[in-house]
Order: sequence, then structure tokens, then C-alpha cells
Amino acid sequence: MAEVKVKVQPPDADPVEIENRIIELCHQFPHGITDQVIQNEMPHIEAQQRAVAINRLLSMSCRLLDYPVPLCLFNLTLFPCSKMKGSDNQEKLVYQIIEDAGNKGIWSRDIRYKSNLPLTEINKILKNLESKKLIKAVKSVAASKKKVYMLYNLQPDRSVTGGAWYSDQDFESEFVEVLNQQCFKFLQTKELKMLKWAETARESKQNPMIQRNSSFASSHEVWKFICELGISKVELSMEDIETILNTLIYDGKVEMTIIAAKEGTVGSVDGHMKLYRAVNPVIPPTGLVRAPCGLCPVFDDCHEGGEISPSNCVYMTEWLEF
Amino acid sequence: MTQAEIKLCSLLLQEHFGEIVEKIGVHLIRTGSQPLRVIAHDTGTSLDQVKKALCVLIQHNLVIHRVHKRGVVEYEAQCSRVLRMLRYPRYIYTAKTLYSDTGELLVEELLLNGKMTMSAVVKKVADRLTETMEGQYCSHAVSRGVDGKNMDYAEVSNTFVRLADTHFVQRCPVVPATENSDPGPPPPAPTLVISEKDMYLVPKLSLIGKGKRRRSSDEDATGEPKAKRPKHTSDNKEPIPDDGIYWQANLDRFHQHFRDQAIVSAVANRMDQTSSEIVRTMLRMSEITTSSSAPFTQPLSSNEIFRSLPVGYNISKQVLDQYLTLLADDPLEFVGKSGDSGGGMYVINRNDQAKTLLSDLDPWHEDLHKALGCLSTASLESVVQERFGSRCARIFRLVLQKKHLEQKQVEDFAMIPAKEAKDMLYKMLSENFISLQEIPKTPDHAPSRTFYLYTVNIPSAARMLLHRCYKSVANLIERRQFETKENKRLLEKSQRVEAIIASMQATGAEEAQLQEIEEMITAPERQQLETLKRNVNKLDACEIQVDETIFLLESYIESTLKRQ
Repeated sequence: MAEVKVKVQPPDADPVEIENRIIELCHQFPHGITDQVIQNEMPHIEAQQRAVAINRLLSMSCRLLDYPVPLCLFNLTLFPCSKMKGSDNQEKLVYQIIEDAGNKGIWSRDIRYKSNLPLTEINKILKNLESKKLIKAVKSVAASKKKVYMLYNLQPDRSVTGGAWYSDQDFESEFVEVLNQQCFKFLQTKELKMLKWAETARESKQNPMIQRNSSFASSHEVWKFICELGISKVELSMEDIETILNTLIYDGKVEMTIIAAKEGTVGSVDGHMKLYRAVNPVIPPTGLVRAPCGLCPVFDDCHEGGEISPSNCVYMTEWLEF
Repeated sequence: MTQAEIKLCSLLLQEHFGEIVEKIGVHLIRTGSQPLRVIAHDTGTSLDQVKKALCVLIQHNLVIHRVHKRGVVEYEAQCSRVLRMLRYPRYIYTAKTLYSDTGELLVEELLLNGKMTMSAVVKKVADRLTETMEGQYCSHAVSRGVDGKNMDYAEVSNTFVRLADTHFVQRCPVVPATENSDPGPPPPAPTLVISEKDMYLVPKLSLIGKGKRRRSSDEDATGEPKAKRPKHTSDNKEPIPDDGIYWQANLDRFHQHFRDQAIVSAVANRMDQTSSEIVRTMLRMSEITTSSSAPFTQPLSSNEIFRSLPVGYNISKQVLDQYLTLLADDPLEFVGKSGDSGGGMYVINRNDQAKTLLSDLDPWHEDLHKALGCLSTASLESVVQERFGSRCARIFRLVLQKKHLEQKQVEDFAMIPAKEAKDMLYKMLSENFISLQEIPKTPDHAPSRTFYLYTVNIPSAARMLLHRCYKSVANLIERRQFETKENKRLLEKSQRVEAIIASMQATGAEEAQLQEIEEMITAPERQQLETLKRNVNKLDACEIQVDETIFLLESYIESTLKRQ
């Protein structure tokens, strides 16, 4: 009886099977799997067969993302193969990185870190992709020299373009000013109307709550007013109006209170409503600024007997002649 | 004492008391407490003059004496008290608004003389009032040959008693009555004491009499020969009944009043008239009960407030409650609820604004420290606005509210373009209104890996502004003195002319002669005099306005220090 050397074939030695298993594993761990994990799962497969399987996956429509050592992580993303036919793996890698960055975009240096490719390669790839109209470069409003890359058909995020207040990377200060004034005027007229009504209607004088409540305007009302005015070419959201109203608060012209509102009332956000009211300043301009010394730019150089002194102060002379 | 304060003190002392007192006073402020001989030696003035100067300063409460160990008596100047001299016009004006002319003159006399006995001050004020009244009725009196009105002592005493009851004047500390058989030599300097309850106790005096007029030569009722009648009134012969009981103006009480006024006007600006009246009532009720440095007033129930409202305001109890709730909810946070009075379970938590059930017994209090903080913050904001512009003011208020902000966040919240925002922040930083807080990410504090946060340190900014105020006032005083000195010749001339005219009128001169004398002052000179008068008045008024800012900032800093 001759010894039959039976080569014990592992049951799923079929390369396709291996690939499928690896794909399944990648699905199981969306963050990526290391080589170690694959080895643990399929201990009977030799390293060579594993490598073959992985290479096949790479060359096919599935992509694998390489992370720098020491992990050697494999992350699987299924990828519609139509677009990338004819591009090589590195381009696919870069493309994936850019897609991951979503609509915030990613800087070229960051791409380099993630993909571990040399700079020249990166630049070539980026140019390639741009010419194929797959990605685009957007100038960030925060750092004007920086260019971030994102997919061609994505809208850049607010933090990159600046949102409604920026047009072409320029901050539109006049626009903000105009909106500022309009909002303030709206609140002021409401306050004046309330005062006038309070003078005529005697009952309201006795009821401060009514007075107070009628001079408040919710952010929703202001938003509606501004929309109806139609001074803005860009569509403004309620958050935009709230940022404008906040600047009015910092100007000291307006105060805000938050009240709890029932869900579903117009303009309420998370059960709260913000109310705004025009106010007067707490004190009139303080005594120091009525003296020329309070506003003097050369205050620190002024002393008796010097070139600049109270006796020969030009500002004082002008102020006295006033 | 900062240089600016010392300069201001020296100017004030010189204006009010003269060169020698100024020298001694400034020396004491600079060097702290010193014994007598050292002062004389260091300033190079004779011992006699030093003694006189110190007497003046002690009389006006500007210098106190203390027995040091080893029995040496040392004198110490109180710089802050000297700076109060700037505020005298405001005190007098307050007394006038509260107690009319009589009160005004009483406080004025007390401030000008430092310390006085009640009888002396009453007599003096009565005399002065009689003079003014005589001036009003003079022409009538002469034509009708009737006595002008005399100011009765009793009226003036009444006003004095009212001033003492509301604590605007207080007794000076006295030497304690030494028990007999005190062995050993008397101490080198007496220690003055005054007990709390005696401070406002008015002695029982029966001041009978009327104010004497200056020109009492004709209308003398007693009939004594004029030659023998001494210049002074006959009171010299009688012992003054309240000898040894001296009174002084209670500046703390005035300050309390100013602070209350500031709070009430702030509430009136922010809300309406009625709210400010309610706040005024609350403050008035706690005038005597709360000490001037307490951070909170005593809790008052809304019933009490309702009862103490002024008569003209007939608002119902509910409306009052609503107003109080509104005041408590206001972001200014001047008024607060003091916790649950019902079960006594809660400690009166000073910073709490628990929304408990609104019952009649809920106590309300005024948060004085916060009110002062709010007012001084408003002063800071107003200075920033006037000096740097409204956009800078926006950034300043933004950093105040949010406490700590990064550069980028400032630009975003304030909606100001990055370049301008940076410029403004750096300008304010260089003037010390804003400061930087570094938060390093790495232990080596590398600038590229550190967070830099902008923040406003309110007490430090307030101190910086206060220093600037002192220097400004000193500048204004110097300018005023300069202007007066420039036109000294002209002023002297006009004074001479006036004296000549007065004497000629007394001896009865014709109109033509008077005209001639008056024409000695030419028209342009008259113009110049007018301008000078206007300028001096303007500078004076400005000093008082800057003093208002000084008051707010000083009160806030004091209150902050006390809290710690």
C-alpha cells in the first residue's frame, strides 16, 4: 500500500473565498482591520495566499487604504468602479482621502500624511484628478493662502466659505452694518410704539408686564421683518439674524431674554425662544470723557513743565473756546 | 500713593490752605507717619510753623495722630481724605437739595471749618442767612424803616437736628472721661474714642436768639453805648453750653446717598420711572439699617415696601409685585430675592435667584456690590466708546460678556473684518483695557502651540482708569491756575475798580463819576474778563464731572476689596 500524500487542502482555500471572507471582515470592522486580525480569522491560510488575495482586491474595484506603519490597517470601501477605471492605486487612495474629508475639504499636507506618498506624487495626482473634474480646490476664508480640496460636486461647508456674510472670500461689512441698523430700527419702533400706547391707554400704566411683553420681539419676528424688507440677496436663516442681534447686544443697544416656549410655537428652537428689546444705556457718557484729558492721545507724555503740559495744551484751548 | 494722587493732593492743599500746609501735608503723604521733630527736620521748616500746619490739618480731619510704641507720637496723613476735598461742592449741593438753604449753609460751614460745636455753627449760619435775607429786604427796610427779617436760631437748630438724625453730620471722637486716680503721667497724646450710639446724639441745647446782622449799628435793641459794645456779640461772656462736643460732616453717609442716586438713575434709564421710584424706596428704607460698606441691603418684604411708597404713587399691591419680579429678572440684577422666608429651611443664599412662589412675605434685597460693578463697567465701556469708537466698544463689551475669547472667535461674534478686529484688539491691549491669558498646550510654552485668550480684568482696568482720572483732575486744576495767573493783572485792575466804585457809592457820588470810573476798564478788557470767567467756570465744572467718575470707580474698588 503506497502512502498517498494527501495534501490537506483547507476547505476555503479558494482565492475568491478568501477575498470574500476578507471583505466580510472589513464590513464587520468598519474602522479597519489589521493583518493580524485576518490572520487570526483564517489561521490555516498561508501568508502568501493572503497577500495574493489582498492584491487582487486592490486591483479590482475594491479599495484598500493603507495606513502608515506600524498598523498596516486595511480598510475596505466598496467603490463604484466606473469612475476609476484606468487610474492607478495611488490616485484611488488620494481620491478616497479627499472624499472622506467631506465638505470641509482637506489640505494637501494632510493628504500627504494620510497616504504616506511623496509630495511630488501627490501634486501630480491632484492635478490629474482636477483635470478629470473629480475634485476641486476651494480657498479657505480662514487662511487665505491655504487651498483645500474636496469632491467636485460638493458644496463647501460654511466654515470654509464663511457663510452668508462672505462673498468671494471678502467679508461684507457694509451688508452687516445695514442689517444691524435695520434690526435696531425695528426694535426701536416697537419700543416707541409701546411707549406711545402706554401714554394713551391708562390701564397699561398699571401693568408693567404688558408693557414689558409688548416691547419684546422674538427672533422669528425680526427674521420675518428682514426677509420682507428684501435688502438681502442671499437667503438668511434665523441663526444669521440671531448673530446680527447678538452684535446689537454687544453694542449695548439691545437686551435679550430667553423664555421657555411650547414646542411648536412659531420660532421656538428646542423649547426656548429668544426675545429682544431695545434699551437705553445705563449711564450717560461718564464724567471723564467730558474732559479733554479723558480722550487725549498723548496723555502719558503730559506733565507740567514739559513740551506737552496742561498750561499749553492745544486740546484744552480748543475745548475752552467751544 | 501714586504720583498722580500726590500731585492732586498737593494742588488741593495749596489751593485751600496755602504753601506751608501743602509742604507739610505732601511730605506726610509721601513718607507715611512721622513724629513731629522728623517732619520739621526733613521739610526744613521751623517747629512753630510745623505745629501750626499740623493743627490746621488735624482740625480738618486730614491728619490723625497716634501714639507709637515707646511713647512717640506720630502723625499720619490720610490721602484719601484729602482727595475728598474735591467733592465738597457736591456735598453742599446734596445738602441743599435735601434741606434747602439752611442745610446747605450748615454743611458748608462744617466742611470749611472741619469741626465745630453745634452752637457755634448754628449761630454762624443764622447770621449768614440773616445777611442774605437782609440783602433781599434791604431796600424795603430802608424805605419803610422796619427791621429786616431775622433768622431764628430755632429753625437752624431744627435743621441741624434733622441732619444729625439722618446721620449726615456726626460727632467727633472725644477724649474719654478719665477716671480719677489715674496713676502715672498722662499719655503723650490722647486717644479719641466715640461710641456708636453717641455719634448722632444731639445735646439738649436751648439756643435762643436771632441772627445778628453785620450792620447792626442803627438797629440796636439793647441800647448799650456803641463805643463800649465789643465787636463780637455778648455770648463771649457766657460759657458755651456744649463745649467739647464737636461735630463734623459724615462723608460716608453722603457717599451712600450718591451711590443710591446713581443706582436709581441707572434703573430709570434702563426701565421706567415707577421702577426707579420703587428702588429709591427700598434704598431709603435701608439707609440707616445697612452700613455703608455692606454688599447687600437688608431683606425687605414687599409689604413693607408697599407701605413705604411715596404718597403720590397709588399702585396696587399686585402691580408692585409685578414690578419687583421684573426688577429681579432684569439682566442688571440690582434687585434679588433673598430666599424662602417661609420654613426657614434655606440659608439666605446671597447669589441665588431661586424662583420661589411669589408670596407676600418674600423678602427682596438690593445687591449693592453688583450694582456698583455694573455702573463702573458702564463707565469703562463709555470711556472705550468715546476714545476708540463704537466698534471697539462692541468688541470690549463682547469680551466682557464672554469672559475669555480667542482672536478668531472675537471676529466671528462681533462681525467685524479680521484685519480691523485685530487692530482694535491690539490698541485696547496696549492701553491696558484688555489683557491676554496664555494657555499653553505643551510644557515648553511654544507660541505656536499656545492658546491666547483675550479677557477683561475689571478691577485692574478700573484702577487704571481711576489713576487717569486723578491725573486729569490735576491737569484741569493746573490749567485753571494758569489761566488765572495769565490774567492776574487784569483781575487786579478790575478788583481795584470795583473797590473804588463801592467806596464812592458809600460816600454818595454822582452818576457821572461812577461812569468815569467804570470806563477805566475798556471793552476788550471786559471781554477778556468775561472769557476768563467762562473758562474758569468750565474747568471747575469739568473737575466736578470727572469727580463723579472717580466716585463710582473708588466705590467699586472699595467694595471689591471688602468682599475679599
